[in-house]
Amino acid sequence: MNLASLPLILALAVAGGPGGDEHLLAGAGAFRDGRFDVALVEFRVAEKLGAPEAREYAAASLVKLGRPEEAFEAFASSPPGEDGLLDWYRALACYDARLYVCARRLLSDLGRAGPKAAAEAAKLHAEIARVLAPEPAAASIDWYLARCEKHGAERRPALATAYCREAAALGSRRPDRHGVARASAELAHLDAPDASGARR
Amino acid sequence: MITTLVAALALASADPCAPLEPTARADPGASSAYRAVAEAEAAAGSRDTATLAYRNAAALDPADASSRAALERYCSSTGPERDPFQEGLAKMDAGDLRGATAAFRAARARSDEPSVALLEGICLYELGEDREAEPLLRMAERSPENADLARLYLGLLVLRRGAASEAAALFDAASASAAVAPVASDLARLARSEGPWAFTFTASSGYDSNVNLAPPGAPPARESDGLYAFGAMGLVRPWGSEGPYLRGQGLLNQQFRLGTFNVAGGDLAGGWQLRGDSWSALGEYDFAYRTFGGSPFVTSHRLLASASGVVAGDVTIGASYLARFESYADGFSPFSGTVQAVEARVSFPAGSRARLALAYGVARDGARLSILSYLEHGPRAELRVVTAGGLRLGVDVAATFRGYDVYDPALSAKRSDTYLDAAALVEWDLSRGWTGQVALRGRRALSDVPGFEYAKLVPMVGLAYTFSP
Repeated sequence: MNLASLPLILALAVAGGPGGDEHLLAGAGAFRDGRFDVALVEFRVAEKLGAPEAREYAAASLVKLGRPEEAFEAFASSPPGEDGLLDWYRALACYDARLYVCARRLLSDLGRAGPKAAAEAAKLHAEIARVLAPEPAAASIDWYLARCEKHGAERRPALATAYCREAAALGSRRPDRHGVARASAELAHLDAPDASGARR
Repeated sequence: MITTLVAALALASADPCAPLEPTARADPGASSAYRAVAEAEAAAGSRDTATLAYRNAAALDPADASSRAALERYCSSTGPERDPFQEGLAKMDAGDLRGATAAFRAARARSDEPSVALLEGICLYELGEDREAEPLLRMAERSPENADLARLYLGLLVLRRGAASEAAALFDAASASAAVAPVASDLARLARSEGPWAFTFTASSGYDSNVNLAPPGAPPARESDGLYAFGAMGLVRPWGSEGPYLRGQGLLNQQFRLGTFNVAGGDLAGGWQLRGDSWSALGEYDFAYRTFGGSPFVTSHRLLASASGVVAGDVTIGASYLARFESYADGFSPFSGTVQAVEARVSFPAGSRARLALAYGVARDGARLSILSYLEHGPRAELRVVTAGGLRLGVDVAATFRGYDVYDPALSAKRSDTYLDAAALVEWDLSRGWTGQVALRGRRALSDVPGFEYAKLVPMVGLAYTFSP
């Protein structure tokens, strides 16, 4: 899927901060042409030159570049619900980072991304439903907890929070609530918004 | 500002390690922003984007020695070189298709090789991003060494959007390569079967070891005979594999000697198929007429409903129900009545080339004469294998346990039968449209009334031809 909201970006560019507008445009053009590495650099520069909205477009580029955790962090600074297409990329970032509960929540709220994105979202939703259908394995929950602790130690609170939330959500679906207490204890040390904009 | 934008776009489209040419007007402010981005990308371990950003920083500010040095370091042949193509392959192997796509795109930025476009196109196809995949696969198709695999994936892509005829043509073209021919020819056959219409004609011949279903070691004597059979089937479905369809079918089974056992007949059916990403369903009405020994035998009206869906991974479950209202001709009229049957089924992969289905069915025949009414049930298993050489093998086994409703005074028994069935089929494509078949069917019938026990084997060889768009 291409970033089809080029007119929106153009509008933002016109309203963008001094110096950031042309890089926002350059990034949009590169994104449209499938040069996501160039798009990322241009959106990052635009952000540095006073166009804060470029951060979410950089996040979309990171999704395309296969860097979902960084994309998740970039999305975490703003709440979802403003732009359906960006919310689709936000959900993809969660999905690619194996944050399936997060992706499912975002997809459920996705309503304004157009028919193509809605169809893609329905497909992804079905895929997530398949992944989440069986009872979560303890080893799987431990993996999320390990990611939470690792990112917490790296001072990446948004990611750490997301992984702990995922662990808690998955653990609560098991009769033994494996990992829920540990995830809750970790979350008590973290207080950061996640990519879906939720706070602890 | 516009100068900077033009410069940025020009720089972006170039090889980041090509000789650096400073822009006409320096822009230290923008250069500084590029450098900050480059450093952040370098810290994140992203060599490609760091190189791009350092290059822009150095081009926009000739005095920026640190960006120039960093660029030289990244582009130096002595530095730790990363091969995005190899990285893409590794990510593709690991199932990280989105990461592989980005890596292949980076590799194409260095050298726009058709083989890399092919791999990127395959990744995008697997991700369902068909619009992005198609131009890359078309690019790969222009290269002789990649053409066959590119056509195979283009065929899959156009099949996904419902263009079955175009897909079949692409699969046929891909069959030119020995490496992909077995898969491509199978897909071509499947694509044709998905088209808006198809007519299939079959001719076969074989041998029936027990035409009159005679019991072993008791009268009447077992009679065996050779047989030949012709069949024709026409299917029209204007919207392809989803939506309404109409099917007509005719059959003629002739014994060489025992003409009183000849069977002929026809079916006319209409129905509607529904399909989702992971489920399908159909409803169908079928009218059937049969003659036996050249005389009218039975007419029936059948209603069928079935549904199936993927539940986990590649496991599919399904269920079907049918009701058949049978009206037998004079002499057989006590058999008239209603047959109802339900079946539940699960199927799953059994190795890379095989699929196994297990089913359990229950059927009730409510015949006009109560001594002919029965309830039967039993399991069934189907194994389907596609060999590397393109042979399609099928093996079916089933057991059916039938209990009749009431005591039959003429037999002095309340009849209870068990049927053990087995069948094997080998099928292969001879050329476009032509299919060869060898089949073997066998049945062992057991009963508490010895006269109803029998065994039979029917080997057949056949040839089929399918017309389709």
